[in-house]
This record gives sequence, C-alpha cells and structure tokens, in this order.
Amino acid sequence: MQPTRVLQGLRYRKLRLTTKDVNKGFYKGSGTGTVGRHTKHGGFVIEWEKVRSYVCPPLEGFKLTPFVAATVPKVYGQFSDAQGPRNPETYLARWKSENALD
Amino acid sequence: MTNPASMRPAMGALLQSCRAGAHIRPSSLPSSSLNPSLQHTAAISTTSSLLKRHNYKGARDNSDKNKTRGESAIRQTGTRWKLSVSDDPLPQPVKPEHIPAQVTDPNHGLWDFFFDRKTVAQPPTEDAKHGRGWMVEELRQKSWDDLHRLWWVCVKERNRIATANWERTKSQLGYGKAEATARDVEVRRTMRAIKHVLTERFYTWEDAVKLAETDPEVNLTGNGEAYTPTEYLEEQHLSEEEPVPEEEEGAKKEAGAATLDPAALPESKTQGEAPRL
Repeated sequence: MQPTRVLQGLRYRKLRLTTKDVNKGFYKGSGTGTVGRHTKHGGFVIEWEKVRSYVCPPLEGFKLTPFVAATVPKVYGQFSDAQGPRNPETYLARWKSENALD
Repeated sequence: MTNPASMRPAMGALLQSCRAGAHIRPSSLPSSSLNPSLQHTAAISTTSSLLKRHNYKGARDNSDKNKTRGESAIRQTGTRWKLSVSDDPLPQPVKPEHIPAQVTDPNHGLWDFFFDRKTVAQPPTEDAKHGRGWMVEELRQKSWDDLHRLWWVCVKERNRIATANWERTKSQLGYGKAEATARDVEVRRTMRAIKHVLTERFYTWEDAVKLAETDPEVNLTGNGEAYTPTEYLEEQHLSEEEPVPEEEEGAKKEAGAATLDPAALPESKTQGEAPRL
C-alpha cells in the first residue's frame, strides 16, 4: 500500500511527525501521561500513585439536573471592575464576611 | 423419499439367501430403514461372495468404499450399523417453556444506562424535552460538593444518550439522532461551565492567598485565628498602651466578638431547587 501521490515525495517531510513515523528511538506521546516507569530489563512497573481513579460521589437525594428550565432568564454576572470574577480582593472580602469567623 | 439404493439390501442377495434357507426379518424391507426406532439395516445371513454382483474369477471389486453412505444427521437416518451406544437414551434439551426466567436486580446500577428498560432509547419527542445548560454565573454560587455531583449526573446523562444512539442505529429504530445531539450539546455546555467555575475559583484563590500574605488582618501561619478584623486589632492596640488586667482584656475580646454578630453577616446566595424536568 502506498500513500496518495499528494503525500509522496518531499511533501511528507514538511508535515509534523506522528507516532507512526521514524524507525526506532522516536517516541511521541499522546497526552495521556505516564502510569509508571520502565525497568532496565525492558519491563514496565506501574506506580499506583500515578494511576488515575475517578470517584463518583453518592447521588442519592441530589436534585440538580444537567439542564436549567428555558423559562429562567439568562443573567450574566455583574462585576465592579475589569477583573470581574477573578478579582482576588473580592474573593478575600467575601471570605472574610462569610467564612473566616466561626 | 425413496430409499437410496445402497440402503436396500441387494435383491439378488435376498433371493440367494431365500434359497439358502436364511431367515430374513421383515425389518429388512426398504421402507422400514427410515424408521428411527429401527436405526440399522437388518442383518443378512449370507456370505459376502453371494452378495457380489460379479462373482467370477478376476471380477472387479464393485464394493461401496463409503461405509457411511446415506447416513445423514439432518435427515435423521441413524447409523448403518448398530453401535454400542445405540440403545443408550439421548439427553433431551430443555424446552424453552421450561427454562427458568433470568433473575435480574431491578435496582442494579447498570439500568441507569437506559432511558427505557424495554427500548433503551426514548422517542425524540421525549428527548427534546430539556432546558438549556447551566450558565457559569449560576454555577458560581454552588459548592464543590454540588458541582462534583452535578458533573457525575452529566456524565451519566451522556452515557445514557450514547447508549441510546448506539441502540437506535443497531436496532434501526429510526430518527432521533438530531434531538439526541441537541440534548448532548446542552449537557456538555453544563460540564464546560462546571470546569470553568472550578478553574476560575482555584486561580482566584491562589491570587487571594498571595494578597492575604500582605494583609494585616489575615494570619496564614496556622497558629491562632486566621482572621482578626481591624476593629478588634484597634482595641488590642489601645489595650497595649494602657496595661489592663487579663479579665478586662477577656471582656473586651468578647465585646469585640459581639460587635461582629455572625447572624448579621450577609448570607451567601443559594439557589433554590430547580424544578425537575
């Protein structure tokens, strides 16, 4: 099997390398991260601290759904300055008024 | 169905064996060899040389090389000869009516993958009955626990939609992909908003911590109160200038605390329960 004529010749050299290119020694990850390390004998040891586990909390009695009624108007946030919701002073002031004192 | 010629004993041989005085049971007649209760052809008590068609010296071997000629499982002919297991009763399969029904758990978690337990997918008119996704401003008011659980509610809803899509194509249920896609889009909008709120909250918290390091009211060391309002600090400053006995200091502390009544603090806005669709 051959690639299409468009990719043959020098055109292919200008494209970005994929995981399937180059003979050996070239490793390209796919963004999933690692879950362990290689051993010197060629094996692989899983490090369970690196393995992701997804925890679903108990959903009994939870009333929220993925949707909001269409009759509820869309209200965008109103903020005092350009920083808006990312303003640390607002965050701190709110923390002081709501959460700081027991 | 007519008997294959191989299943019938050779007629010449029958005549020969009659002359020889051999007894041939009626079951050797052709019509009975298809009877499943008589699975084998009758024994003919005669010599093999008499059974041959060409019996002269040097005659060609006309024997049937196929010892299992005519045996058919599909036609239930049975074996040509009686076997040692021919009289053993065969096990009969259980009839479908007598097979006990499969017991399932009605509360199994896997049922949450289906909109409908019989049809898996729901009709597009039902699929279209949904609102819009959550807005970021609406989710900013929610706690971590609520957002976490809402995320997983969205995950389960997307799983339901994906299962229904697969079943709809597999069973050729018909139209409905467009409505399902629209529903999925709203769920994904909600999930995007949840991620947005959590990221924003984290970044703002980081900035607030940096700011709090320079704030005299906030104590980040971990020893003592994290927040001491300025009014209290001013009272302490005054008390330091005039040495006051400890009881008075304690009373002033209580007074300082009493001026900040937690009940008078602005209540955090919490959204009421959304009407279930």
